[in-house]
Amino acid sequence: MSRTRTALLRTAVVTGAAGALALTAVGPAAAETEVPEPATFTSAFTAMATPDMVINNDGVPTPGEPGASGTFTYRINSDTEVICYDIRLTGVTPPYQSPAKTATHIHQGDAGQAGPPRIAFPNPEDDGSGALVSSGCLQGPFTTGVAPEGTDTGQGFTLDQIEADPSAFFTDTHTAAFAAGAVRGQLVAIPVGGVETGAGGASSTGEGSTGTVVGVVGGAALLAGAGTVALRRRAPQR
Amino acid sequence: MRSRGFRRLALAAGAALALSACGGAAEPAAAPVPAPAATPAPTTGAPVAPPTSSLDPAAVPEPTAVSIPALGVRQDLIGLGVAGDGTAEVPTDFADVGWFTPGGRPGARGPTVLLGHVDSTAGPAVFYDLRDLAPGDTVVLTVADGSTATYTVTGTEQVAKDTFPTAAVFGATAEDVLRLITCTGAFDAGARSYTDNLVVTAVRSG
Repeated sequence: MSRTRTALLRTAVVTGAAGALALTAVGPAAAETEVPEPATFTSAFTAMATPDMVINNDGVPTPGEPGASGTFTYRINSDTEVICYDIRLTGVTPPYQSPAKTATHIHQGDAGQAGPPRIAFPNPEDDGSGALVSSGCLQGPFTTGVAPEGTDTGQGFTLDQIEADPSAFFTDTHTAAFAAGAVRGQLVAIPVGGVETGAGGASSTGEGSTGTVVGVVGGAALLAGAGTVALRRRAPQR
Repeated sequence: MRSRGFRRLALAAGAALALSACGGAAEPAAAPVPAPAATPAPTTGAPVAPPTSSLDPAAVPEPTAVSIPALGVRQDLIGLGVAGDGTAEVPTDFADVGWFTPGGRPGARGPTVLLGHVDSTAGPAVFYDLRDLAPGDTVVLTVADGSTATYTVTGTEQVAKDTFPTAAVFGATAEDVLRLITCTGAFDAGARSYTDNLVVTAVRSG
């Protein structure tokens, strides 16, 4: 509980009254920084967080705040180690509380299991509408402020671990009244960027996508079937 | 009728899928599946506040067909997921409508997401008229247990693909909502892709 630690916390992301409860000193000074949204993403994930999913540190189901829910959506660029977060809580009653430097986390743990936090996000705050929201982007390496065995639980974690097995990660937020978690949900992969649902054949710009191609018969399937038209999709990873 | 079944059904998704693109399909799919299905169940009353649920979608039956009476669309659903490059899989066949299997399902948390092409390389495709859906129009999903779920359109948004609102479209919701997505905007012949997506949102109403 040193001055040094306090200073480190200041460099960290957030609002962190919760940080004052940190149990142990963080390790290296390197910690995530708030960054602008990148132009591209490599993956995206969402979680519907609910009170019934909460598991305490002993692995025991410990229901969170009744009636509360949260939508946590993350977009990741694992090449640049950036994660953008869009978090919205309903029915969660602050104050937040956690031994980590914030009380809103991605943890590594399967459904029904406890697990260490890997990333700490700024806690959602009232946006004026009554909902609690938090959004932005962080660039790793990440620290959580929790180091039960002397090593920060964010150390060694990289975002490609989420991409490799999203179901092995969950997200949650902790409050004073529901320290094990007010709401929690497992991550599920969702698509990155827009959806490629048209080929241009009915567009005002005419001719369809093929441009170069194909005088053929009878309909889209046949047309495409000509094989000469194997067009690569644009990769709109945005 | 709201499905309250808790049967866990195997996802037979996948088999029929392949990537396609706004840029045109690489191959023909099998002949379009004739669409039996989707007997719309006229329901009583006006839309009400959408029901909310924290129910795991895997705990309820999957949707099998869609009917959009206002557009004359009736089609069985194929399963779609996330492609290797992180983008959404889309139907190979321009006549098919796909549903995003890792997402929501009728009777559980949302969103249930349907994807269909606006056009093929030759002309209009299954969701060509999606832009004409207006608030109050209904979309009926048939569910694997034979029940139907009726949704009422609440709004339509045109969004640029390069700033696609992933959280707003695919982000989990406590409400039992349905989103229908296709392409719109200008067709970029160079990129062989439309610039925008059209996203119609509908809420469970029966």
